[in-house]
Amino acid sequence: MTAESLPSGQINSLADIPEYKGLWSWVTSIDHKQLGIMYISSAFAFFLVGLSFGIIMRTQLLVPMNRFVAQDFYNQVFTMHGTTMIFLMAMPLLFGFSVYLVPLMIGARDMAFPRLNAMGYWIYLFGSLMLFFSFVGGGAPAAGWFSYAPLTEKGFSFDPGITYWALSLLVIGVGSVATGINLIATILTFRAPGMSLQRVPLFVWMVLATSFLVIMSLPALNAAIIMILFDRILNTHFFAPAYGGSALLWQNYFWFFGHPEVYILILPGFGVVTEVIPVFSRKVLFGAGFLAASTVAITFLSFGVWMHHMFATGLGFSVLYVFALSSLLIAVPTGIKIWNWIATMWGGSIRFTTAMLFATAFLIQFTIGGLSGVLFAVIPLDWQLTDSYFVVAHIHYVLLGGMFFAMLSGVYYWFPKVTGRMLSEKLGRWHFWLMVLGFNGTFFVMHLLGVFGMPRRVWTYPYGQPMVAYLNMFSSLSSYVLAFSILIFFWNMISSLYKGKIAGDNPWQAWTLEWATSSPPPPENFDSLPPVYSRRPLWDLENAAAKVPEGGEQS
Amino acid sequence: MDLTNAQSTNIFAFATEQARTIVQLHYATLAVCTLIAMTVIGLLSFIIVKFRHQDGNPDPEQYEGNLKYELTWTLIPTAIVLGLGIATAVVMHTINPPVGNNQPDVIVIAHQWWWEYRYPKKGVVVANELYLPEGVNTLLEMRSADVVHSFWVPAFGEKMDTIPGHPNHIFYKPLKPGLFVGACAEFCGADHALMRILVNVVPPKEYDAWLENQKKVPDAPTDETAQRGKELFLSKTCVQCHSVAGTTAQALVAPDLTHLATRQTIGAGVLPNTVDNVAAWISNAQDFKPGCHMPNMRVSKEEAHAIAVYLEGLK
Amino acid sequence: MKQGAVLGMILFIASESIFFLLLVLAYVNFHKTTGQEAAAMLDPVKTGLFSIALISSSFTLWMAEKSRPKNKGLFRLWLFATVVLGAIFLTGQMMEYGKLITHKLTISRDLFGSTFFTLTGFHGLHVFIGLVLLSVLLGLALKGRQNEPPEPGVQSVAIYWHFVDAVWIVIFSIVYLWRYV
Repeated sequence: MTAESLPSGQINSLADIPEYKGLWSWVTSIDHKQLGIMYISSAFAFFLVGLSFGIIMRTQLLVPMNRFVAQDFYNQVFTMHGTTMIFLMAMPLLFGFSVYLVPLMIGARDMAFPRLNAMGYWIYLFGSLMLFFSFVGGGAPAAGWFSYAPLTEKGFSFDPGITYWALSLLVIGVGSVATGINLIATILTFRAPGMSLQRVPLFVWMVLATSFLVIMSLPALNAAIIMILFDRILNTHFFAPAYGGSALLWQNYFWFFGHPEVYILILPGFGVVTEVIPVFSRKVLFGAGFLAASTVAITFLSFGVWMHHMFATGLGFSVLYVFALSSLLIAVPTGIKIWNWIATMWGGSIRFTTAMLFATAFLIQFTIGGLSGVLFAVIPLDWQLTDSYFVVAHIHYVLLGGMFFAMLSGVYYWFPKVTGRMLSEKLGRWHFWLMVLGFNGTFFVMHLLGVFGMPRRVWTYPYGQPMVAYLNMFSSLSSYVLAFSILIFFWNMISSLYKGKIAGDNPWQAWTLEWATSSPPPPENFDSLPPVYSRRPLWDLENAAAKVPEGGEQS
Repeated sequence: MDLTNAQSTNIFAFATEQARTIVQLHYATLAVCTLIAMTVIGLLSFIIVKFRHQDGNPDPEQYEGNLKYELTWTLIPTAIVLGLGIATAVVMHTINPPVGNNQPDVIVIAHQWWWEYRYPKKGVVVANELYLPEGVNTLLEMRSADVVHSFWVPAFGEKMDTIPGHPNHIFYKPLKPGLFVGACAEFCGADHALMRILVNVVPPKEYDAWLENQKKVPDAPTDETAQRGKELFLSKTCVQCHSVAGTTAQALVAPDLTHLATRQTIGAGVLPNTVDNVAAWISNAQDFKPGCHMPNMRVSKEEAHAIAVYLEGLK
Repeated sequence: MKQGAVLGMILFIASESIFFLLLVLAYVNFHKTTGQEAAAMLDPVKTGLFSIALISSSFTLWMAEKSRPKNKGLFRLWLFATVVLGAIFLTGQMMEYGKLITHKLTISRDLFGSTFFTLTGFHGLHVFIGLVLLSVLLGLALKGRQNEPPEPGVQSVAIYWHFVDAVWIVIFSIVYLWRYV
């Protein structure tokens, strides 16, 4: 504690912490909590941008042969929608949660490399701004978020959009790898005494797995990006079939990154609900061992499924079988988690706070998204439905209905810890129900649109297909409800920041170490640490009988 | 473009042998997935009602796991996915077996943003409208002239990417006659959304007759306007890209126009094929398909009309 | 913080291995069309000599690590030798590039140029960065202050340098020695 700062017992809001006063303290910060808040705030800002792009797309698709936007603008919009949501929103959101919570959850003062942490954030921000500069710098990228070659070669994409895309992602990717290294080093070397790896909160375990995925998969994207940059700028021929290059090489390299990437996106969300569900069910997590082990299984398996994004490209039978099997098998460890979460709720005494509502919706929506994924693993069905709106439905169910709902659950859960104020439960409920309505309305019908033959990435669709027209209109109208619910969410955060009820150290009577300090925590995180004998140090403190390590856990 | 006279693009409205097999597999898989989804939703609904917090309730019992249950919900899903895996393998082999020594009946060449179809055994080249014989298992080779596209007719079953430098193949055995529509299913640039596929499935006799007609060189135009149109066509830059058999126009860059009059649409499904539409297209294709590779031809209305009359005489 | 430095470097190297693996796989993927040209244009003997310089530099760096903390003078000497050997390797590489370019083999000429220059170029870039890191260590050692350069710093740079060396052994085998298989 510095001479200026308050004893942590008197900290009730971010304004009470003199180290956080003034813009300069934030710009120069290497404090993991400030950086976490900056990551999350930037992610939410880009979420609004990506959401606006989505609304533009849905408005263009409201009726057949619509002329709301021109076709080349639409192509830039859908590309930027995907790129923004994945790289500028979802990744920084999960990094923000991770760098904020991990040191607190393991009882550490900060991350292993605080300056590297800051570099990671600023590189992300500047990379993102560079990507958006493309709109005024000659044209935004317009080849989709996975930029298939040879469409991205100079001959087919004349404007600099793809170059912006590649350079920005390269830059942002460097930051991601740095943060991944930082998180692994922190988790492996900074744990409080008594906290073995078997005793870390499962959010931390998921972040550990995620970070391994980050450092091992981003290089594949970097290699591919360097090759397309060289093709465009130095006239190499990696992906130009006319010169002997290979279009499939891009797809293989990109998806070798791309598939682990989607597990990077979802694992921290799994971690969030694994923290939220036990607390609001007032029950210990069911099957922590299997949850941890299944995470390891997913981490390894995720490197062995990438070709399922390429089932329709004419691969040989043996290759197809191997990847169909691996893609089917990866459903098993994912499914185990769902059953374990349900079993945690079973027999509990469940309080449906907004955080718990989002976690419950996550369970259902992620199951639906996961099952449509299993359907895709059955190759002949993939041959029918890949590259159609069925895929769009699948990805939004797992990423929006899954990951984003889980992170929202985390926001409602940890907002009090980060800011010292409770979010409004009333506004939270409005947000939740409107979002469930809006999200499912927008995206469930997309399964049907795929069945009715609508391909993806189309700026319009023809007359004479009434079902396609009705479903598109229904989806678009629902998307406005979804957007409105997000506005309620932002209003909730902003108003609660100033007028929310004071939270106190542990408003949810939760059990992990971040709740053993003030809300918000002082700069050095903890005045003192409770002893750690299990995954629930505060529960053990309460129920003093647990001086012995809990039995029955698998590790 | 109006598709009301086309067959349904619903994947369950199967129109080939292969699509029928896929639909059966689809029903089985959907049944499994629905069962699992209902189990999850059912359990959660029960939990939400039964285990809601009530004031005065004792603290819930803390149990950390149950090996029996966890093994069960590991092994049963494993068995289910392995079962799906077997079904996958069987259906894959059935619907798209190896080509072996078979020669393709049709070579599909995808372009930005139109479809070229060649019938190598008959020496026929057409654009944008494919004819297939009913009841015959036809082998199509899939190629691309530029970027990655994908050939997808939902009623026919499997889609197949057309990848430059990597030819693919697919078998379709149409079960019933009719007009079937599809779309390019891999984002390929500006007009990806306007690269529609039209397939006419006709009885084998009609198919042979159609092929014979396509091999013929069209008669010279007799109408004055059409003759003028032909002169304009051959003297302007049209011939840099298009070809018409029996004339000096032999370029391969753009759709072959030899029998344009036999097609139902122009621009790969963008406009119905009429003289006025062809004239409008010639004047400025960018109005209808912005970004396509046909520029504003800078011809007068009268010239465009004449060329259109000529082209509409190419039966 | 210091204890994490070595772990951090190991994790970074794990990440870079994937990057190099994919560049190597791209080279291998196109080898059918590029193999002949590789055999014709490359000189394994000359490049082999420069490779020996690079591999020896790993040995000298190991000797440097061993002579700490007892003999500061030897440490500086071995470290200096490492930098010199690394620089010799890079010079050899540049000479080879020069020769290829005068024979009109540029990065854009064909797939061989594309894959060869990209793969060896990124390796060379990593060697250069390594030389910078080693020079920083040398500079700190020459300044003569107590406990500088710090042990975790030396260890992590050493791990990096050995990694760069190992990558070269793989690249050399695949690009230069494939013709003998």
